[in-house]
Amino acid sequence: MARRLPRRRRMRTLALLFVILGLPLAAANAQEADAPEGAIIDVVEMSGFSLYSLSPGLQKDINSLVGAPFSREGLNQLASRIEQEQPDVVAAVRGVSRPDGKARVIFLVARISDDTNLAENINARYIVETVDVEGPYNEISQQLRDDLQKLVGRRLDTEEAERLQERLRTELPGRAVARRISKGSQTGRIRVVFEIFEEPWIRFVPPKSKLVYHSQQGWSGVLDIPITASHSRHRFTAGVVFNDIDDLIEEYSGFRLAFESRVIGTERFGARLEFSRYNESWEDATLTALASSSGVPELYRNRLTFEPTATFAFNSSVRISGGVSLSELESLSNSPNSQMANAWVLGISGDHLWKGSNEVRQRAEASYQLRAAIDGLGSDLVYKRHLGQARYQIDQGRSTAIASLSLGYITGDAPLFERFSLGNSTTLRGWDKYDIAPLGGERMFHSTVEYRFYNVGMFFDTGSVWDRNSDSKLRYSTGFGVHTDNFFLTLGFPLNNNNDSGPIFMAGVRF
Amino acid sequence: MATAPLVAQALTIRTVADALHVQARGFSFIEGPVLSRLREGRSVRIDFEMTVLSKPEGPVVKQTMQGFTLSFDLWEERYAVSLIGSPPRSISHLRPRDAETWCLENLTLPVSSLGFSRDTPFWIRLAYHVPDIGPEASEAPSERYTLRGLIDRLSRRREEADLAKSVDAGPFRLP
Repeated sequence: MARRLPRRRRMRTLALLFVILGLPLAAANAQEADAPEGAIIDVVEMSGFSLYSLSPGLQKDINSLVGAPFSREGLNQLASRIEQEQPDVVAAVRGVSRPDGKARVIFLVARISDDTNLAENINARYIVETVDVEGPYNEISQQLRDDLQKLVGRRLDTEEAERLQERLRTELPGRAVARRISKGSQTGRIRVVFEIFEEPWIRFVPPKSKLVYHSQQGWSGVLDIPITASHSRHRFTAGVVFNDIDDLIEEYSGFRLAFESRVIGTERFGARLEFSRYNESWEDATLTALASSSGVPELYRNRLTFEPTATFAFNSSVRISGGVSLSELESLSNSPNSQMANAWVLGISGDHLWKGSNEVRQRAEASYQLRAAIDGLGSDLVYKRHLGQARYQIDQGRSTAIASLSLGYITGDAPLFERFSLGNSTTLRGWDKYDIAPLGGERMFHSTVEYRFYNVGMFFDTGSVWDRNSDSKLRYSTGFGVHTDNFFLTLGFPLNNNNDSGPIFMAGVRF
Repeated sequence: MATAPLVAQALTIRTVADALHVQARGFSFIEGPVLSRLREGRSVRIDFEMTVLSKPEGPVVKQTMQGFTLSFDLWEERYAVSLIGSPPRSISHLRPRDAETWCLENLTLPVSSLGFSRDTPFWIRLAYHVPDIGPEASEAPSERYTLRGLIDRLSRRREEADLAKSVDAGPFRLP
């Protein structure tokens, strides 16, 4: 006598008929009508499995079905017993009506390991009842909505669900997408839910890791290792800098430690602390230029900086931040004497992403930062540094167009790490910054227009960096290369260089 | 076929033919975030590592790794486990502890590969980790396939200790 099984098993339904779709069934024609309850069973077959692999008791119970009235509940119990005896299979049962009114019963058995969907998730045996999206449903394209709904009424295809999840991520950049499954309203049915999480209002400062080669300036290396904890609310970053000559006029090495929290009580408020210590070295061009210039603060051998800032987000796009930056600059010529460059830091930034039809995606970013070093903070160097930046990118299919603009303005006596420079792996590509302004400058303008197709890019850079008492000279460069978000291999050509210098080769990764 | 349970510690070993098996009491992994994820109908990959050491914390004699995919049958309310690799093997209708046991039973080392005599002592380290618990624990998806994302993943500290566990035991001797 069969053990009485739980109700959920007794209620096993047509959901398990997925096996019909997955197994070669010579005997069962899908167009045959289902057998009615009470029809006398005259044939019992087993597909995909040997009856003799089952226990004698279960074999006997299955064989004794012949001549008995058709009972869906009883047959489902037997299918469950097959699964219990053979836990490496899933079993379903189908009864078809014969022309003489009798019923033919087929047990459909499949090994889990033979089906990648089942092996990945056992719930792939069930029929999808509904597909729901928790999140900004209206921002999903109609095509993707339709494709999501195509999961309904079929056995769960985990690979297809994974592809749809990936498409959601692509259509909703900046958001996390997860997938969960829950029971449907009927036994054997499931509900698939795609969950879309909003990007945090305050974002972590992106790591600045890079390994960059510039044929005039050499190698630069930075490795930032972020360690995220507490559901990504906080992050600690340890960074090492190896001879970075790409960013500033100075070549610097050292380390930095940063702690960030992007949710302090509310997602609108975050904070960041950074401590860094760098050793500087200087190019001959800078030393020579400094000897013949006045008004540029002295060089330093070490730069020690502590920078606590707080950020407030008005919404997911606009943020304002403020804090202080306290730097001690140990004199290169009069060590251990040092100068302090202590500045208030105020910044506002905004970004927005538009996603239109035909896979068009546009992103705009703009920021402004003021660094004001004043007596009140105990700063030996008094200055104000304004920097405004804007960037626009449009992607359509394999094509990407980028336009960016930067404007900088310094008053007072800013230390060299604050002065602007152009002519590296991101600005005026094709120029060497030490040919343009070996001491940097107090004024800066730069723009870039770039077009990429299949990661092959062409660009046109325009820029100028100069001091308050000198004239600006606009420089141009162009070039091409392989450009992705993380990797670049670029050949840059200066266009109006009277020194007849050749192209500059640049390559590297940023991550 | 020889079955020989040995030292009664956190781990016990037995040999079946040429296969060295390990059993671990209290080495549960269907709990915490793994359990939560399974109960939401998601699947979870768990990677196991069994290492034979010649001394405690000593040199590695042999090591084996095996991955499994777990899922929870929402309607049967039982667990299913699939061995990742070849030959594929799967099982369902398991209670949590049985699912854990099945994973360990399928984590074996050939005794002959150890080169030990019967009186050679050795130690065993059993470890597992969950390589990816899901997007809710990850960074913004834009970082998912970047080198930055990779470094984040590699360096991210899980606050839940349930996502990785290791236990050492010994000395053992072959029967």
